[in-house]
Amino acid sequence: MARLLDKRLLIITGKGGTGKSAVSAATALVSAREGKRTLVCEVNGNDRVTQLLGVPAAGSELSELAPNLWAVNVRPEEAMREYALMVLRLESIYKAVFENRFVRYFLRFIPSLNELVMLGKVLYHLQQKLPNGSDQFDIIVMDAPATGHAISFLSVPRVLADTVPPGAMLKEAQRMRALLEDEAITAAILVSLPEEMPTNETIELCGQLRQRQIHPQAVVLNSFTAPRFDEQELASLRDKPRLLAVAREHRRLSDLSVQSREKLERDLGLPLVAVSKLFVRRFAREAVEKIASQLEPDLKAAR
Amino acid sequence: MNDRDRSSAQVQKSQISHPLGEALVRDDVLICVGAGGVGKTTIAATIALRAAEQGKRSLVCTIDPARRLADSLGLSELGNTEARISGERLAEAGLNPDAQLYAMMLDTKRTWDEFIERYAPADKREQILASRFYQSLSSSLAGSQEYIAMEKLWQLHSQRRYQLLVLDTPPTAHALDFLDAPNRVLDFLDNDAARWLLRPALVAGRWGLQLFSFGGNYVAKTLAKLTGADTLRELAEFMLAISGMNESFRERAAQVRELLAAERTAFVLVTTPRLEGIDEVVHFHRVLQQNHMAIAALVVNRVHPAPLDSDWSDAAREPKPLRAKLEATLSERQMAAERDADAISRIGSLCEPTRLIQVPALPSDIHDLASLWRMSGFLFGEERLGASEW
Repeated sequence: MARLLDKRLLIITGKGGTGKSAVSAATALVSAREGKRTLVCEVNGNDRVTQLLGVPAAGSELSELAPNLWAVNVRPEEAMREYALMVLRLESIYKAVFENRFVRYFLRFIPSLNELVMLGKVLYHLQQKLPNGSDQFDIIVMDAPATGHAISFLSVPRVLADTVPPGAMLKEAQRMRALLEDEAITAAILVSLPEEMPTNETIELCGQLRQRQIHPQAVVLNSFTAPRFDEQELASLRDKPRLLAVAREHRRLSDLSVQSREKLERDLGLPLVAVSKLFVRRFAREAVEKIASQLEPDLKAAR
Repeated sequence: MNDRDRSSAQVQKSQISHPLGEALVRDDVLICVGAGGVGKTTIAATIALRAAEQGKRSLVCTIDPARRLADSLGLSELGNTEARISGERLAEAGLNPDAQLYAMMLDTKRTWDEFIERYAPADKREQILASRFYQSLSSSLAGSQEYIAMEKLWQLHSQRRYQLLVLDTPPTAHALDFLDAPNRVLDFLDNDAARWLLRPALVAGRWGLQLFSFGGNYVAKTLAKLTGADTLRELAEFMLAISGMNESFRERAAQVRELLAAERTAFVLVTTPRLEGIDEVVHFHRVLQQNHMAIAALVVNRVHPAPLDSDWSDAAREPKPLRAKLEATLSERQMAAERDADAISRIGSLCEPTRLIQVPALPSDIHDLASLWRMSGFLFGEERLGASEW
């Protein structure tokens, strides 16, 4: 079976605060270093990925960060403009229509249009060709919105394909749906935390994605605490309340980590990578490198 | 002196200079704001509990609380209704407040539906509720959850059943969504746009025909190429249906604005000490200041206290393998504490003159009344970080 890095689109998703952007940045680094032309896309984000990599914010134009590594922050306004230009062809028509006060107003309220154009832009880059006919990007790593939004975001082509009347929007939606639902092309990577709620939410998210024919193919358990203190050691500290509290708290975290890993492995049936909790003064490039080295074997493993 | 007397004596004393203690006495509306996942709900519940303990009849209104916190507050299936927290439940936690404590889970969708049912013209109600634009307005339009949370707050406040309302807000991606919500919703109801779109059809008397046409409206026709003509027509119809409510919305938006700026309303900003989250809380703080909203305090939640010198010397006396493990754990904690301290000093200087209140990362989920009460000791300044306990 193909490796994760041989997919064309990796969708990194999970609950807010699980470390999606760091996992996206780390995955993109591993991929670029392997020699793959890699684009990392943030979806209407706060330029968190570029901030973590320690490079200037990407903005809405493609920017080259390192050899083989590009970044873009996909925002609704610019994506809308690009989409409209593609459909309408002419800049002058675009201006006449889109600079109309009422049109600007309507566009905000058409359900799912923002999501459609943002996803459309990501998938456009997926199909972009170089002058020699080969793909401009070998792989796109998408830092997807957090759980609730991810579902509605990724469902947009499906929902639209079922509801909108024939026209440009329908064609676009059908084309996008075909790309997202092809597991040879697209893989979702779920990011979770070793706590009860985030773990349960990851399991729910996985089910919801599968229902929508989007295929999760790995789970990253972030902030993992490996067991350190055994029962005997805890017992020997019983007369030293502060040290006992330190050891107990560590034990609580490692128990949670182990339980969470077992539960995810059992309920999801997906390969799992545990990324250990990082203790760094500033969560930046150094931390991303550490995550990258822990992810690398699994991203490159034949499956 | 029993425990309760002692704790209220402490409260009396600390109120003199403690920002949240003062707010608890002065205000009748406290609104907790901050990013998602920072513990807003827990802080909101703790404030309401504390107020009840001090004799103020209080209600905490939460949105999407963690399951176990909801259970411990007795908020099982009772979406959108106020439920009293029973004396038994409180007694189990060793509490016996002077005043009653209430909690409710705000169901934003249901609140929207109730709003439409109350204010929409009778013959338009069904059409509005069934429209997919209404679904978009009531669920995904930026600011709509905030708008309806404000609406509920206004309702509760005007009923005057409580001496303190504590509102936990939806996690907002952008601070402005919150204060701007009424304007955004009013924007949505701008009827000029609907008339503009429909004018040719209305003038030509073709309204109601199967085949909808934008007449000579070139811009609308071009727009329809992108969205499909049906989508535009549906949108215009929806807006005409809802247009009768425009005045109600406008009036309410003004009243909500008034309540937010009222003398006895204040905001409590909540954040965690993550460097990555700083921009957000600083931005939020600035926006509140620019809008002349009172900020009672900035709560920094889940702060990691640093180990004491004695912890290191105690660890050094343990046998070798255990000593190494303890020292490794203490250095990790030291690192976490330093990282937090960096963030806290930046937040403090960027958010002057608002006062910071630090609440430690407590060593278990806060999901019952007893631990909420424990947290209130830190929130109201009787307990300090890094003292006797972790």
